[in-house]
Amino acid sequence: MKLRSPPGLHYPITVVELARKHDDEIQRSSPLFTYYYESVVTEGNKYGETNEVKKKFPAKFDSSADGIIGQWFIKNGTVIHRPGVDLVEIEEPCTHEIQFGSLCANCGKDMTEVDYLTEERNVDRATINMTHDNIALLVSQKEAVRAEEDSKRRLLGAKKLSLIVDLDQTVIHTTCERTIAEWQADPENPNYEAVKDVRSFQLADDNVANVAANWYYVKMRPGLKDFFDRVSTMYEMHVYTMATRAYAQAVAKIIDPDRRYFGDRILSRDENYTDKLKTLHRLFPTNTDMVVIIDDRADIWHYSDNLIRVPVFNFFPGAGDINASFLPKQQELVTSAVRAPLPELTPIKDSIGAEGETAIPFSVAGKPTETVSTEISNGTLTELEQQLLSMSGGDSPEVLEQQVKEQEKVIISQQTERPLLQKQLLLDQEDEAAEAEDSEQPVEAENGDTQSSEHHRHRHGLLHDDDRGLDLIEECLNRVHRSFYDEYQKKKTGPQGGRIAELRGEKSPKKRTLEEFVPDVKVLMPRMKREVLAGTTIVFSGIIPLGLDVQFSDFALWIKSFGAEVSLNVNRQTTHVIANPDRKTTKVKKAARNPHIKIVNADWMFQCCTRWERVDEAPYVIEVDTAERGGSPFEDLEDDDLAVTGDEEGDNADEAVSPVELDMSDEKWQSLGDEFQDFMDESEDTDQDSNSDSESIHSDTGALADSKRSKKKRKRTTGSTDVSDAEDSDTSVNSTSRLQRRKKRVLERVTSLTNVVSADKSSGLPSPETTGPEEGQGDEDGKNAVAANFGGGEAEDEDEVEAELLAGFQNSDSEGDDESQE
Amino acid sequence: MFFLKELEKTIQLHPSYFGPLIRSHIHRELLTKEEGSSTGKFTIVCILDSFEISDGQVIPGSGYAEYIVHYKAIVWRPYKGEVMDGVVTSVIRSGFFVDCGSLQAFVGRSMIPSDIKFDQTATPAQWTDNGEQVIEKGTNIRIKIKGLRSEVDKMYAIGTMKEACYPFHPLLSSS
Repeated sequence: MKLRSPPGLHYPITVVELARKHDDEIQRSSPLFTYYYESVVTEGNKYGETNEVKKKFPAKFDSSADGIIGQWFIKNGTVIHRPGVDLVEIEEPCTHEIQFGSLCANCGKDMTEVDYLTEERNVDRATINMTHDNIALLVSQKEAVRAEEDSKRRLLGAKKLSLIVDLDQTVIHTTCERTIAEWQADPENPNYEAVKDVRSFQLADDNVANVAANWYYVKMRPGLKDFFDRVSTMYEMHVYTMATRAYAQAVAKIIDPDRRYFGDRILSRDENYTDKLKTLHRLFPTNTDMVVIIDDRADIWHYSDNLIRVPVFNFFPGAGDINASFLPKQQELVTSAVRAPLPELTPIKDSIGAEGETAIPFSVAGKPTETVSTEISNGTLTELEQQLLSMSGGDSPEVLEQQVKEQEKVIISQQTERPLLQKQLLLDQEDEAAEAEDSEQPVEAENGDTQSSEHHRHRHGLLHDDDRGLDLIEECLNRVHRSFYDEYQKKKTGPQGGRIAELRGEKSPKKRTLEEFVPDVKVLMPRMKREVLAGTTIVFSGIIPLGLDVQFSDFALWIKSFGAEVSLNVNRQTTHVIANPDRKTTKVKKAARNPHIKIVNADWMFQCCTRWERVDEAPYVIEVDTAERGGSPFEDLEDDDLAVTGDEEGDNADEAVSPVELDMSDEKWQSLGDEFQDFMDESEDTDQDSNSDSESIHSDTGALADSKRSKKKRKRTTGSTDVSDAEDSDTSVNSTSRLQRRKKRVLERVTSLTNVVSADKSSGLPSPETTGPEEGQGDEDGKNAVAANFGGGEAEDEDEVEAELLAGFQNSDSEGDDESQE
Repeated sequence: MFFLKELEKTIQLHPSYFGPLIRSHIHRELLTKEEGSSTGKFTIVCILDSFEISDGQVIPGSGYAEYIVHYKAIVWRPYKGEVMDGVVTSVIRSGFFVDCGSLQAFVGRSMIPSDIKFDQTATPAQWTDNGEQVIEKGTNIRIKIKGLRSEVDKMYAIGTMKEACYPFHPLLSSS
């Protein structure tokens, strides 16, 4: 340890004599050297006169460390002018690299002592915790590096990597519902096969103290034992869970009874300092080159490059992650109503591998880390939702105590309400009510609907034992391991010169440069992943909740890590549209006109992202009406698309900022405001658009024929003043069609030419005329009209249609101008 | 080392316990709260039966009654230099942890005889001299306390296996 001149001395000081020589031993607080300093003092004499005298004061400098003097940087007579000058190097007998409970593990001294010589507390020498199961043991940076070097050598020698395994919903799924025990005891039960290997345990020192003798039922992911057997040959496995220590150990006993796979490498919430995040540096403080993580959630890992995100294992429908209350809220703050019910009602996401049809195997709404606009949730909270909200704790508390309470609540609710039993029997009236609520509420919440529909589908066959997630994980792990060691071998044998030099007996540089040819998983894995979807440009439609920044939503981040680009709008670059199969959004319709754009459901994305390969889109394609696909000349629309995209903003939420014509009267502004308010209040209606929209268009077109002006006005005031009209048009209130209509109106106002055309056409055909003027911006309307036409199966005159479309094409140019005027 | 110590404890009793069985309530309260607790200096191992209960005083405002109980207890206090028996709870590369009753001790690498080496590849990991001596989770072990530190309700100790572990005698110990 190098001693420097401390602050607080009377500088400059002059060294008089060094008390110790080189290699002398020195005790702490014994003098190192003597020095003097000069100071001006006021002296009085017997006559009462005072005068200032400069005096020399001798002083001793005490050593602040034990040890042997290594080297002096000063000699007799040296003048030290300021603090921070090197004085002496003292070799300490113990550098306190490892400390246990602030005691040095090597010398047993108390590290917290502070005295007059203390410059830096000894406890600060060791601040890194890299022990799984103990928080009292800390090591210094140096020691940590040394330890990691050791383990690296060992792993390379054994051709292994480190693997961090999450427990809940990754390799196991736990519930507290005692229904499971009943089912297990009853071979007649339809779920018997699925639950017969469920293991149960009780925790003595349960955090949930009020819930006496709480049983936990643990379902291992199918094939877990074989998975561990095979993976443990390639990886040294660690458990990292946000559950309590007792829980983690109980689970470890189940999944690893012989402690062959994990040993004592179990890290639980009790040893994790932050309760919201998992971090690799907790276990691998200096080097994460050889670490792979498997977890079902990426947000708590901060989307780490080491992470292999795995499909969620959700065996007990509705049980969710029992320890999720200790994780950062998947939903945050205001999102409550949309997502809070999900932990309770989340559908079965069984076997995304086996059944490609299930709509969304990941809890969509549960993922995003950003907030969804309050408007969506507020005012639509039903009593049930409130209840669920309080149960699943949607208010995102920070305090651990509160989290514990939350968990307690979840457990109690699982115990008392026994959702599984309810679901299975489908008898309980409340449950039915909940179902009714359930089917109602998701219609409002943009994301809920897919889930709930799926939910209902699965209720009858409640538990499925066909999860194949582990196969996918294993495949990924295999690939990572293989490519890591391939690269390692390549790098190692690569520079032949080095090898020859070594063989010649020269000093091998190898030992020193171990770093150089150990590949970095953080580089390797992203590279492998990026190849998967490289070159694709993805547009999400109806998947990511309103108000979220799409680019930073969980899904977008996920798919971007596989090399895909995410854009907001459908344009020429777009290769895939990931859409909600239940909704025909503008973007889907727009994309439908381009045969090169594949419209797929979210499952395709999950397949790609979990298999790490570009899955064939065919099984996941969302069938779009052939009329929509082929009905309109593609070239026109392509142009139109380009003209439109700039304005349309792509996202529903952007309606509010879409340009508004300038010649609006105050009244119109007012009604616009009302309309906007309406939209915000009931934006959940959006899914209905495909049906009601076309209706409204029909009425639209009809109205167009006689009086556009009045129609327009009526439309504008819907929801606020005109109640009767609200009946037919307000049901169709949704962002897209509103946007369309507003644009249409703009169009009508500005270009009289198009009006003439459409009015003319409308006399013969009730709907298609709109395709002409509307095509440009109101592509949705137009398409619907076309679709309606074709769908109607009426003997449509081909030529006439063609003429119309041609007119539309020509008009679109002027429209483009209009757009730009806006 | 064990001592017989006189202690004092203030117990507050809820009004619902007031009645003929009040003594047994206080007794039970004392046992549940105090036995096994650690003050940071020592651990209360066992409370002896005879104890005195002062007259109760009702606390104004809450209705609780406060009793001061004098009792004798067997307490355990570890000393630096003491030799203890314990059970290994966890084995890591830099040493192993030992539970000695309420005291958790750590034996670092430098405190382990040099012929006993860490074996990471064994399952579970262990310290071993590749002969008879195997230190793994659950092993009974005798260590000597090298350093001791107490916090409010916890004690930490550093143990060593290198020094002669003969039974401890406080008068002979050099600490």
